[in-house]
Amino acid sequence: MSAAIGHLSVVAAFFLALWGIIAPIAGARTGKSRLFAATRAAILGQFVLVTLASFSLIYALVTTDFSIKYVAFNTTRATPVYYRVTGLWGALEGSLLLWEWILIIFSGLVAWLYKDKHRDLMPWVLMIFSIVSVFFLGVLAFVSNPFESVFPVPPDGRGLNPLLEDANMITHPPLLYTGFVGLTVPYAFAMAALIAGKLDESWLVTTRRWTLTAWFFLTMGNLVGAYWSYHVLGWGGYWAWDPVENAAFMPWLPATAFLHSVQVQERRRMLKVWNLSLIIIAFSLTIFGTFLTRSGILSSIHAFSSGPVGTVFLAFLAFVLLGSFGLLAYRADSLKGQPELDSMVSRESAFLLNNVVLVSALFTIFLGTIFPLISEAVAGVQVSVGAPYFNSVTVPLFLLLVFLMGVGPMIAWRKASWDNLKRNFLWPAAAALAGAVALFAWRIRDFLPLLGFTLLLFVVFTILFDTALAVRARRRLAGEGIFKALVTLARRNQRRYGGFIVHLGIVLIMMGIAGSMGYSVEREATLRTGESLSLGRYRILFEGLKGSQQPTHFRVEGTFRVFNEGKDLGTMSPALKFFPAQQSPVGRAVYRSTVTDDLYVILSGFSELQQNQATLKMLVRPLLMWMWLGGLVIVLGTIVAVWPSNKHSAVSDQQSAGLKADG
Amino acid sequence: MGRSKRFIIGGIIILAALAYLIYGGMREAIVYFVTPSELKGQERPSQDKFLRMGGMVAAGSLKKDTQNLTYRFELTDGAQSVPVHFRGVPPDLFSEGKGAVVEGRLGPDGVFLASTIMAKHAEDYSPPPEGHATVPKSFVPGQEEKRP
Repeated sequence: MSAAIGHLSVVAAFFLALWGIIAPIAGARTGKSRLFAATRAAILGQFVLVTLASFSLIYALVTTDFSIKYVAFNTTRATPVYYRVTGLWGALEGSLLLWEWILIIFSGLVAWLYKDKHRDLMPWVLMIFSIVSVFFLGVLAFVSNPFESVFPVPPDGRGLNPLLEDANMITHPPLLYTGFVGLTVPYAFAMAALIAGKLDESWLVTTRRWTLTAWFFLTMGNLVGAYWSYHVLGWGGYWAWDPVENAAFMPWLPATAFLHSVQVQERRRMLKVWNLSLIIIAFSLTIFGTFLTRSGILSSIHAFSSGPVGTVFLAFLAFVLLGSFGLLAYRADSLKGQPELDSMVSRESAFLLNNVVLVSALFTIFLGTIFPLISEAVAGVQVSVGAPYFNSVTVPLFLLLVFLMGVGPMIAWRKASWDNLKRNFLWPAAAALAGAVALFAWRIRDFLPLLGFTLLLFVVFTILFDTALAVRARRRLAGEGIFKALVTLARRNQRRYGGFIVHLGIVLIMMGIAGSMGYSVEREATLRTGESLSLGRYRILFEGLKGSQQPTHFRVEGTFRVFNEGKDLGTMSPALKFFPAQQSPVGRAVYRSTVTDDLYVILSGFSELQQNQATLKMLVRPLLMWMWLGGLVIVLGTIVAVWPSNKHSAVSDQQSAGLKADG
Repeated sequence: MGRSKRFIIGGIIILAALAYLIYGGMREAIVYFVTPSELKGQERPSQDKFLRMGGMVAAGSLKKDTQNLTYRFELTDGAQSVPVHFRGVPPDLFSEGKGAVVEGRLGPDGVFLASTIMAKHAEDYSPPPEGHATVPKSFVPGQEEKRP
């Protein structure tokens, strides 16, 4: 029953989306404004239908309706209810439905929020939404239908991949999809501006918060993905430069570039074509990512199985690229005549350089990801590009980016005077150099980590210094205390201080990456009961093995007592889980996080006969915890930046930005 | 010097630096993928070259030495098979009769010395032939007496 309702809703929504594309075109031809109103109705109608379809699938999953193939493949009778719900994004068809659902929620929100605003843009904005939506609905209705039935109905389902049964997997895909889909909003506005020929800054200003929100979800999606990898996959790492990870990360780069370069356009009316291109690229990469992960053309450890979906996505990607850049070329004349750079030493050029570095990073990662495809197609040689390529190429670029993160927000617009440079950077640079000397004297002797930590210190000091000056000014001006002054500053200039906090979060993440990349150690051995293994300041004593029946699987657990320089820290119990529907056991790694390092313990094997012998792998990864803390700081910064403000503070935002620019 | 000229020069410098980065990175990190047949069919076997070889772990060929953490098995593509020697901890999904990709070098004695094993994950799992075959029986309560 729910299968019929779901499938019918999808098909009906598909035709409604088609109507949502035709109506505004017909409206523009005939001049009938009723047709523009129909565009909006088409979006809201799709919203209702797709929501109905999504709930039908969730209902089928929760009630384990095994007559639906998707349900039979992704749940079992033993699956807990919450994992039945998250089965919605456990495999291809369901995750496409989730994508479409989030898309139509965003579209509906835009249609609802801007009901009487941007009358010249809105029909086109909603048409773009309908174009994206009609594609996903077409795939769901005709290519990979989540409501496909199976006969005979199996008595029990097969179940989700056990690696996906984790709390982080509940959040990771929706976060990532929300980020991907969120980029559709600025993209739709950009395309609408091109179609309507309204190429001023209004589309940018309108979508500012949407872009930041999308960026936030993209960042969180990637971070939670890294955390899941670390938490569940049991190899002790968080990022392997796997094609699927790259697919999720690549849109983040042009999105980040866009977030910075729009500020240049808002303020100086420069980089119009560049900004339009960036948002087109960012949006296209979300489609490309899906193509890459769903087509099965790349062998990746966690790519979904192949099918015709890949081809369909490739066709849509070609359509998006041709259509978007075609429109851009068509409007090229109206985009000419923008101001030029006044000086290479200015905020504009710092932001431009930041963009060049981000796009370079994107290009290198893109090349590394698709190089195996090119190689096989052109030379017929199967190759793979390993993590060392990505590390060696991106590390210098990201170091440059960190440096620019210190310079960009503080340097003056147009042309920075010596005075401006000296006032903003002399003390932070001196403090960072002092920090570098201290780190070197302590024990950081390798060049790249030392450079990395120094640049990170530089960013922190520029932010602290700038904020301290502003607080001092407020104390003098208004006689406020430090805390009050900070709150006033942040409220008056949300974007600037929100941005500072986000930058500090990025600094923490980079610190975690630098520490765990540069200074990790690992060791493994087979131990008998009573034997121990030492690594760094840790010693691990093997106490024994025990088996237990869990609701969904059978578990063999090792008990290990951990000592830190002789001090007993209690036990850690890594395990191997045996799922009835899986051929091989799945590991459960356990780790102990502290601010200085993580101790990661993996039970990789045991002797079945004697029960007194286990193979243990231990890893020590310094500073790793700061990555996750950095993520929390980014949450805080984003909240400060997007928090709704009243008109008054929007004005003072402009004013203080102006003050900043004058020196 | 004109403004556009400066931009062009700047652009060329950036592109050159980028090309250098990519070239250097690729040279170090590119790994060729072969099948057992291709490896055996080579005129000059590519010793000392870092390779990735994919195939199935031949049934009955896996010998574990849990004391020294070494694994010996044959990787086959149906036509040819290559003996593989691996020291370390294989991934969870690694077992006989299943697909695996090994990374390493071919030794002079024709044994592939793997430094990494990657098992193939798949989204769709097929249940094992007999229900709970994989559960280690000796750990199941009530079956202790069967233990030797």
